[in-house]
Amino acid sequence: MTDAPPLVLGKGEFHHKETFGRGTVNRGAVLLECTWDGGVFESGVMLGGLFRSGTFAGGVFWGGVWLGGTWKGGDWEHGFGPDGKYHPRTVHP
Amino acid sequence: MKVVVASAHRYPDLARLWFRSVARDLVPALKGAGADVEVVLFRDTTPEGFEPRYFPGATLLAPSFEALDFIAFYDAALERPGDILFLLDADVFVLDGPWVASLLGHFEDPTVAAVSLLRRTAQPGVFALLARRETYRMLPAPVLAPSYEGLERWPRAVNRQPGDRAALALRARGKKIVDVSPAAAAAHLADFHGTTVVRASREIFGSLLGPRFDALFAEKPYFAMGAYDNLLLGSLFRAVFGAPFAAAPGGVHLSGSATPEDLRDALATIHDRTSLARLVAYFERSDRALTRLAAREGLTPGALHVPRVLPRGRVLEARAWAAARRLFGRGA
Repeated sequence: MTDAPPLVLGKGEFHHKETFGRGTVNRGAVLLECTWDGGVFESGVMLGGLFRSGTFAGGVFWGGVWLGGTWKGGDWEHGFGPDGKYHPRTVHP
Repeated sequence: MKVVVASAHRYPDLARLWFRSVARDLVPALKGAGADVEVVLFRDTTPEGFEPRYFPGATLLAPSFEALDFIAFYDAALERPGDILFLLDADVFVLDGPWVASLLGHFEDPTVAAVSLLRRTAQPGVFALLARRETYRMLPAPVLAPSYEGLERWPRAVNRQPGDRAALALRARGKKIVDVSPAAAAAHLADFHGTTVVRASREIFGSLLGPRFDALFAEKPYFAMGAYDNLLLGSLFRAVFGAPFAAAPGGVHLSGSATPEDLRDALATIHDRTSLARLVAYFERSDRALTRLAAREGLTPGALHVPRVLPRGRVLEARAWAAARRLFGRGA
């Protein structure tokens, strides 16, 4: 049995209120009020929404809630920690 | 009494328009009422364009460890020495300074913690808030930051906007926050929405989305509202300063928000009559705000040359649809 091929999101894509699981890689899409749960966020924008798990390796995190996962890099514009508290610009998890 | 007028700005052109209004219509009135006044302007970005000569007499603050962004600035502003902190949004303009000065009288009641001049949600917010500094500083820091509550219930968590938790906590302690009714405030303020959000969005992810970005003006009413308000403020800015407004790096007027052509094309794709009627009602509200603001500059709407983004026939159709819904109910 083989794993399903990864879902790769790219530039020019805009998603609203969708959930992306661990097989997803973001390479430039803009996600508005989406839930990220397990994939790799390489670039693009997380605009609002919930980062539940996975890796944030690049792109912009803007106004979302960081519940869990691994922060490897990118720009933290602002957002909220797992306790609901505000984290200003650059104060990433 | 000392009043600290505080506002955060990402874009220097809007900051110039805002400061011109504050210096002309607000500061003299507060001083005339016997207050010492400090205007604190936080630039939530790099220094380009925020030249001190454009903001004479103001205290210009930059991002720092004490205030990493505009939200953190609200709490930093509470630390400025003074009695009353007047938080005023970047796209809210006071037309009637003596009216604001008259509201300071509410603070003679020691139980009044704040006067909210402009409320957009259930709570007073910080869009135009006169706050008694010593009362707000009794709350644990950060006092004015937004937050989420009940994240375990996502997506039904509660998002508290800036100032909301403070308002709830103060009221729980028996303090009063005076809400000025929208009807009472309308003649005294010019209120625009989402102008910075649209520009920041274009700046941060416009290039990622390409032409898809412009479709957002048809899909997301808040984007259309912000873009339309930038178009209005841009017309005023050009008339006053003779320079482009909200220009992307290429320098084209409004290209950092939506050009009239972009907005016109996007609005042409809206076929839902209720959605269009709501936007038209909002645009007409903004038109009235611009007329009042322009009058403070001695300008008539005709002198501003505001581009039309909807054909007259569609506007009339939208008004008729809205009227029919009011008369016959939502099923119309």
